[in-house]
Amino acid sequence: MNARWAYILGGFIIAGIIVSYAMDANRTESVLSFSLRYAVPLILAAMVGIICERSGVINIGIEGQMLMSAFAGFFGAALTGNLIAGAMIGVGTGMIMGAFLAVGSVTWKMDQIIAGTIINILATGLTSFFYAQGYVLPGVMPTVAVPLLKDIPLLGPVLFNNGLYTYAAILIAVILWVLLFKTIWGLRTRSVGEKPSASDTSGINVPRTRFINVTLAGGIAGLAGAYLAIEAAGTFERGFTAGRGFTALAIMIFGAWNPLGAMFAAIFFGLTQGVASQLQSDAVFEIPPQFVNMLPYVLTIVLLAAVSGRVSPPAAVGKPYEKD
Amino acid sequence: MSVTDPSKTDLGFSDPDPQRGGPLGRLPSIVLPIASVLIAFAVGGLLIWLQGVNPFYAYWVMFSTALGTPEGLLRVMEKSTPLILTGLAVTVGLRAGLFNIGAQGQLLAGAIGAAWAGYAFTMPLAFHIPFAMAFGMLCGAAWASIAGVLRAYRSVSEVITTIMLNSIAIALVDYLASKPFKEPDQPISRTPEIAETAALPNFGAIPTGFVLAILVALFFGWFLMRTTSGFRFNTVGLNSNAARYAGISVKRTIILAMAVSGALAGLGGAIETLGVTGRFEPAFNAGLGFDGITIALLARANPIAAIPAAILVGTLRSGAAALQFETGIEPEVVDVILALTLLFVAAPIVGRFLFRKRNIKTTRVTSGWGS
Amino acid sequence: MHRKLLVATIAAGALLLAGCSSSTDETATETATETVAEETAVEEEVVAEDAAAAVTADDSNCAAPENYCIGLVTDTGKVDDKSFNQAAWEGTLLAAEKLGAFTKYVETTDPKDYANNISQFATKNYDTIVTVGFLMAEATTAAAAEFPNVNFIGVDQFQGAPIPNVAGLVFAEDKAGYAAGYLAGLMTKTNKIGTALGTDTVPPVKLFGEGFKKGALDANPEAEVTLVYHEPNNAFNDPEWGAAESRKQLDQGADIIFAAGGNTGNGGLIEIAKDPGAGTTVFCIGVDIDQYFTVPQAQKCLLTSAEKKLVAGTEELVLLSADGALPSGNFFGQTGIAPFHDTEAAVPADVQAKLAEILEGLQAGTIDTGCPACLDN
Repeated sequence: MNARWAYILGGFIIAGIIVSYAMDANRTESVLSFSLRYAVPLILAAMVGIICERSGVINIGIEGQMLMSAFAGFFGAALTGNLIAGAMIGVGTGMIMGAFLAVGSVTWKMDQIIAGTIINILATGLTSFFYAQGYVLPGVMPTVAVPLLKDIPLLGPVLFNNGLYTYAAILIAVILWVLLFKTIWGLRTRSVGEKPSASDTSGINVPRTRFINVTLAGGIAGLAGAYLAIEAAGTFERGFTAGRGFTALAIMIFGAWNPLGAMFAAIFFGLTQGVASQLQSDAVFEIPPQFVNMLPYVLTIVLLAAVSGRVSPPAAVGKPYEKD
Repeated sequence: MSVTDPSKTDLGFSDPDPQRGGPLGRLPSIVLPIASVLIAFAVGGLLIWLQGVNPFYAYWVMFSTALGTPEGLLRVMEKSTPLILTGLAVTVGLRAGLFNIGAQGQLLAGAIGAAWAGYAFTMPLAFHIPFAMAFGMLCGAAWASIAGVLRAYRSVSEVITTIMLNSIAIALVDYLASKPFKEPDQPISRTPEIAETAALPNFGAIPTGFVLAILVALFFGWFLMRTTSGFRFNTVGLNSNAARYAGISVKRTIILAMAVSGALAGLGGAIETLGVTGRFEPAFNAGLGFDGITIALLARANPIAAIPAAILVGTLRSGAAALQFETGIEPEVVDVILALTLLFVAAPIVGRFLFRKRNIKTTRVTSGWGS
Repeated sequence: MHRKLLVATIAAGALLLAGCSSSTDETATETATETVAEETAVEEEVVAEDAAAAVTADDSNCAAPENYCIGLVTDTGKVDDKSFNQAAWEGTLLAAEKLGAFTKYVETTDPKDYANNISQFATKNYDTIVTVGFLMAEATTAAAAEFPNVNFIGVDQFQGAPIPNVAGLVFAEDKAGYAAGYLAGLMTKTNKIGTALGTDTVPPVKLFGEGFKKGALDANPEAEVTLVYHEPNNAFNDPEWGAAESRKQLDQGADIIFAAGGNTGNGGLIEIAKDPGAGTTVFCIGVDIDQYFTVPQAQKCLLTSAEKKLVAGTEELVLLSADGALPSGNFFGQTGIAPFHDTEAAVPADVQAKLAEILEGLQAGTIDTGCPACLDN
């Protein structure tokens, strides 16, 4: 997002949170916890989009990648009796789905939107077809409180008393930001996404960079799926990703293809959900819930319309690289 | 560049380079989709076989129930109608270089628009049906135009806006059907039933909507291949710079193409409401727009080929219930078959195998997010 | 493992059998299962009258008086949805077992197929057809007119003017909700009671929720009861929302949460069971069926479930239908609350006694739950 507007909006939100905290600390903390928790899969999924698009590949199959990994992760955990093993199976499945997109879009130079669409339909069909009832997770992932930090008012209980996935999501966003903007890998990745012909001339293997990045990003989608099934919901149900992969695309754009921007955007959308349900439960006034759910999408369109030209996707995104 | 001859433009995805000719030079545009469908069926058959059911029997059940009885045929026609139109919607977009993922949202807009026009007005039959249908098309076109205008004037990718507009439409029609347009004094979120004067009749055993959809498809076949306006669409789709040099207004063409695309999807929704469901109920139109994408790609963006492609999808969807009734195989197997069909059509693997050529060209249909 | 897998395997085996003996006319038919049945239905006059005794082995000849066939059509959902589709199917299976009847189901994927899915059974002369969910009410009524010789059982379908061959299995969800709410009102220590519900656009959900609130307030006027509904889109399949919402309310001091709404509610139950106080200071309440069995992960916190006895109700109606005594119009199924199971020790004797009293009052109709008038606000 345009930086000035982001700061203004952020300032308002933080001021609102502080006022609300002064009025009712417990309520504020719990709504914020809700928001962060709601944001975790969105953060992870948005990172998938960012890595892929920064490398020049559109990934609209995030939803399918998450669904497939959630399926594999849940049944993996239930059958092996080990939550960590389940998470790893989820991540592995995500990478396989990432590799599928990589083969399609990089090796075969298929239309990337079609490749993503195939992933989505296939995931819906396969997970539904092979779904079986009666499996239960072998346990619960522990909540880890960070010593000292957890005692900070407001921030402590919200940020530093969470499950491992939550820390992982925040860490991944921060690390990805560092990687993208401060390392050689990031420079290469961005150049492959912006001007592949120039990167090729300077000795970067464009297809290989794209292939590896898209596959690795699939692993993060796998983590998001594992989080949904193993931690957040504690179960797998057909189609239970409920469009979060598409919301993540909106968040990616809202965050201007910047990992930290996307992370804050995801938390912001989590906050809209949390505030909406709180307004409902306090019976203050009821916004039709459909409108709350539309909000991320409407905001994204408005944003795109307003700042087009100033916020733009990587230039080469969507275009298979052809050597001249 | 074959821009000069619109009849030769083909948005095939994995054809051998047509310039190179060869023994199968003209065939592939038909051979490839058929081969892809057959291979997808084979893989689907494997899934069925793994569940312990004879795949040949399973497919026989599906097709014989769907196509072997008058009621079955009627249902296939009913199911294919919106699919032809959403397939066309996606096709028209592709021709102009736009990937309209939003057929679902536009269809919903058309369906609820037609429902409102159908129940809120009283007028004679001769006016009511065309009015409700036109209003549905208008709603679809308006909804799609948001994406068209943003693409033309703000360079915002229509792929991302139509994805967003889908989600917004789903929530919006749900709100409309549960609050302002809700049929009073009953618990379900749905609009009142349309007036009798707005109900689309059947032509004997054939639904009017089906005939209409086929006529529209034929019209667009002619329009895109043989008329100047169609030529503009194709030129913008193939090379917008060339189009600009040729004096075509790219912006106007983009907005027009998107509006036409949305109107087609809206018509699909309107026919659903006026001819099949008789009212708008949110769950009734799920998934139709997304099948349109599969159909357009399967038909290789050829409006006339969208007819058989839609009928194939309609038959599979219609036969799925019979499949479960007779064999216990879950209906989701159809999704798997469709995804695989799409994969084989779009990926160069089948083409390579069939034509033994290494230099298969895959053509892109989309132009990325931003440009 | 998989019911359908088993069925499918048997069917395939039968198909092989039929394939081997296809040269002869009608020898293999007696062992045939449903799959072959279709193929050989025409030539099959000699259905096993003596051999198969009371058990109807397939649906090839449902018209014969000694064969009884029961079909079930799900709402757009699966038969293993841990909710009303599954409960109705389980009830049907129980009845079929008692009757020695043949039964199978079809899952609806597109609501426009309701009518067709019903007539698939009716045209094969099924004797009783169970249709699940209030969205199918109109399709059921239409089918009943088209097939007057078939008995229809509409689960959750309220009947206006009674139709001779349709029985609507309906429940006073508000009563179950009221009882569960009353229990929650007596049990809460923090005087804060939460809910995570499916959408209020579905009447049974709203009845559960409003009844729950009234019950809790009647038991404990001090209590604060919050009603939170999911948005209508995807309302019953968003377990993550159910979990996050339940967590939020626990954080705000609620110690009893009513999580009601298919998979959305189940996500809430599972989340509450993770709380360190689960089963001692923090409790959850399930819905529809005894969720002790359908969501075993939640056993630790599950105080009870606001039950509508779908399984028993479906079974009873199918049996009545087979008896030729289908009660047309509305048939009120039992509502109540499920046993405490693991949390029994946490419920004091006086609470249990008071609850029994309330249940009696509800049964007798002497307690006002505020519903169905509550549907209007």
